[in-house]
Amino acid sequence: MDYNVVVIGSGPGGYVAAIRCAQLGFKTAIIEKYDTLGGTCLNVGCIPSKALLDSTEHFHNALHNFKEHGIDINEPKANLPQMIKRKAGVVKANVDGIAFLMKKNKIDVHTGVGSFVDKNTIKITAKDGKEKTITTEKVIIATGSKPTPLPFAPFDKKRIISSTEALELTELPKHLIIIGGGVIGMELGSVYARIGAKVTIVEFLDSLIATMDGTMGKELLKSTKKLGMEFYLGHKVTALQNTGKEVVLKAEDKAGKSIELKGDYCMVSIGRKPYTDGLGLDKVGIELDKGRIPVDDHLKTKVDNIYAIGDVVRGAMLAHKAEEEGTLVAEQFAGQKPHMNYLLIPGVVYTWPEVASVGYTEEQLKTDNRAYKVGSFPYKALGRARASMDVDGLVKVLADKNTDEILGVHIFGARAADMIAAAVTAMEFRASAEDVSRMSHAHPTYMEAVREACLAATDNRPIHI
Amino acid sequence: MSQQVKVPAVGESITEVTIANWLKKDGDIVKQDEIIAELESDKATFELPAPQAGVLKILKKQGEVVPIGTAICEVQDSANAPATKSEGPKAEPAKTEAKAAAPSVASAPKATGIVKEMKVPAVGESITEVTISTWLKKDGDFVKLDEVIAEVESDKATFELPAEASGILRIVAKEKTTLPIGGLICKIEVMEGGAASVKTGGETPAAKTETSGTVNYASGHPSPAAAKILDEKGISSKEVDGSGKDGRITKEDAVKAEAKAAVPAKSGAAVQGIAVPAITGARNIRREKMTSLRKTIAKRLVAVKNETAMLTTFNEVDMKPVMDLRSKYKDQFKEKYGVGLGFMSFFTKAVCAALKEFPAVNASIEGDEAVYHDYCDISIAVSTPRGLVVPVIRNAEGLSMNQIESEVIRLATRGRDGKLSIEEMTGGTFSITNGGVFGSMLSTPIINPPQSAILGMHNIVERPVVVGGQVVVRPIMYLALSYDHRIVDGRESVSFLVRVKQMLEDPGRLILGV
Repeated sequence: MDYNVVVIGSGPGGYVAAIRCAQLGFKTAIIEKYDTLGGTCLNVGCIPSKALLDSTEHFHNALHNFKEHGIDINEPKANLPQMIKRKAGVVKANVDGIAFLMKKNKIDVHTGVGSFVDKNTIKITAKDGKEKTITTEKVIIATGSKPTPLPFAPFDKKRIISSTEALELTELPKHLIIIGGGVIGMELGSVYARIGAKVTIVEFLDSLIATMDGTMGKELLKSTKKLGMEFYLGHKVTALQNTGKEVVLKAEDKAGKSIELKGDYCMVSIGRKPYTDGLGLDKVGIELDKGRIPVDDHLKTKVDNIYAIGDVVRGAMLAHKAEEEGTLVAEQFAGQKPHMNYLLIPGVVYTWPEVASVGYTEEQLKTDNRAYKVGSFPYKALGRARASMDVDGLVKVLADKNTDEILGVHIFGARAADMIAAAVTAMEFRASAEDVSRMSHAHPTYMEAVREACLAATDNRPIHI
Repeated sequence: MSQQVKVPAVGESITEVTIANWLKKDGDIVKQDEIIAELESDKATFELPAPQAGVLKILKKQGEVVPIGTAICEVQDSANAPATKSEGPKAEPAKTEAKAAAPSVASAPKATGIVKEMKVPAVGESITEVTISTWLKKDGDFVKLDEVIAEVESDKATFELPAEASGILRIVAKEKTTLPIGGLICKIEVMEGGAASVKTGGETPAAKTETSGTVNYASGHPSPAAAKILDEKGISSKEVDGSGKDGRITKEDAVKAEAKAAVPAKSGAAVQGIAVPAITGARNIRREKMTSLRKTIAKRLVAVKNETAMLTTFNEVDMKPVMDLRSKYKDQFKEKYGVGLGFMSFFTKAVCAALKEFPAVNASIEGDEAVYHDYCDISIAVSTPRGLVVPVIRNAEGLSMNQIESEVIRLATRGRDGKLSIEEMTGGTFSITNGGVFGSMLSTPIINPPQSAILGMHNIVERPVVVGGQVVVRPIMYLALSYDHRIVDGRESVSFLVRVKQMLEDPGRLILGV
């Protein structure tokens, strides 16, 4: 055998799994179809979108908030090509970083499409058609996912685009129509709304970011409306057409009343689907279940030496979930017995204000008939938030009515994405709301809102409201 | 209004106390003057009453050593008190700790579904087992918290067993059963309407380091790293006592759990290697924090050995005259004074008379001076479940026989109940200790500083002795007098002991003073 472990796919799940395998002393290789490592997350996902979100947020502040802060400047202009160029630099620095990490950990990188010949042999087909095969004891499939197109209007990558193209636009859209009010739609919608595009969201469900706690979606709707975004919730898209110079979208609400929207671009962000094309799963007898690779609790497929992690398996399609799974599989190979608590994988939306969530939503608790209590605290009452003019926001803590154990923490507000880690820590140790409220939180910080919400959940005794 | 409870100034030289036992739990409702905790200094144990009625908020944990004046708890006026947490009956059945259900209204007791297991507490250094001598309550009886439910006997003493919770008693160990320390005595099906005790099974006052407060939903929950370690070692988290907050299992707990499982295997292998018969049976050791009383005893005893010139002189007493006198008058004595006629009164009387003749034996050294006492405060050593205590019979030289007997009984009882005050234990001028009750034939007692001498009594054994040229059988007790040679000369010490012997062998001398 050439290798102990071969990882197919170099996204955050794959490259972390490879590094952990190498750390544990396995001879490891990683196969990547594209020229750069890092997968969706680093190339066309998390990192580039955050780069643009940060740039446009600065612009938004310069345009709207500097004056109040006492900074008088000439009216700023958004330079989209420069923003895209800076973003490309950020992406390059990150993917080069992964290449360095592979070298450092003595992981062989094979560029090309990996495909099973049998359960221990993998054929790698490079772009120029050259083939080679490698043998390995164990395989980790980490091939990730791709944007899902509308069945009646596939991506033409010109005007009907996915998030990938939306990160590469060379001109500022006049009217960007976005189908899907989930995380990706809301993030990229914010990017273009901030720099002056008219953005319209068409969502099939009645709420935004529907998998998260209901309060979060409502708050996000309020704040993005302030940004000028328009919404058609509860609307089903019935037709979408690129007429050459523009896109025409038809949708109807539940009552059957139809609307027609015209824009210069339409981004379809209705979800992502697992990507297993060309993997040759049939050669090893693995069958997909609703597009996903079925795995057991140890992330093992039906074939003994083949494991799968990340977006190709069940669970949330999140980089950090894939990373945890990669680590878990690698450590299992070494005979260790790591655990994963899927309930405590946080979810984050990088709008401004941000949204971050961990644990149960209030809707889930209701469905499960759990006795719970709610404590929430608004950013408005927070000194730190007033100082930075980030008063839109709230923290909502859900705790067990009998034991006071924290069951869910949902934050809408500035820096929510970073704050949620503290909630994960508390919940991993099964802290009660009172436990958190009895821990010192530095003043003035946004985290004080979490503590106050915990006080509210414990005994309805927040201090600052 | 909440009122802080501070450690009271309990005596001249006492600067700190140990919180021996919380009798009430955090969040419990307490009544004014109800005893909420036991504090232990190096000299005595005190009870701490609640200053007012209200909800108890504990600030210092059991086992903590705190200086005088430290606030150790608060009692919050019930009117303003937040509702106390109700304990869900969700506690794992395996861990049937009594949970305090704050009595909302004193109503008819209600079953909580919680079962409190009562185990044999560690009652003393060398005691490994006890016998249930009497059940004072019947199986199925309703018992109240702290109510005495049984008498338990060790080879050293008898003690009373208080209920650790209110509820229905379920007897496990029948009368006359002998149980090891930690053995299950009974179960109490905890009822609401009377607060349960905070005591956990098998716990001696301040014996074990309490690391966590209460048992709740998170007890036994392993941290992410601990869960991984335990799983890899094949140890269930249920087998591990969590030392983290509320019994959470920390990484360190998991690492240690691994070590515990590994040790027996290792020693087994080593033994095989050198072909020595394998050691069978458990070889556990237990580590318990010394109480401050025990630490003080240890410190003092070593100090006496190092700082005095101590030696011991011996003699023997024919106890027949005293025993004859006693058997002749004991019934009348008992009838008249309501107290039994024991040997202590004879010995105390004899000692007081001898001390008058040899004042150096009743003196002490203070710096460059010898301090002579014109009175006899006799310290008597009493063995209690907490260790040895030495209460004092004041002005014993002026007491009648029956007064001495009553005083001995009063002090011994208070000693066993842990109720002796510091005043009752300080200021003795001479000590008597009776190792005979445990069967000692002969020993060399250690003097009780700053005193200069101690008389050791021993068991009475029939021995052949020569009286008037004839070998006869007589009840003989050996006496030992340990003394500080710095202040007491050999002539004085030996003469003192001879005088005691003479007076006991001819009690008439006690009356005549000759």
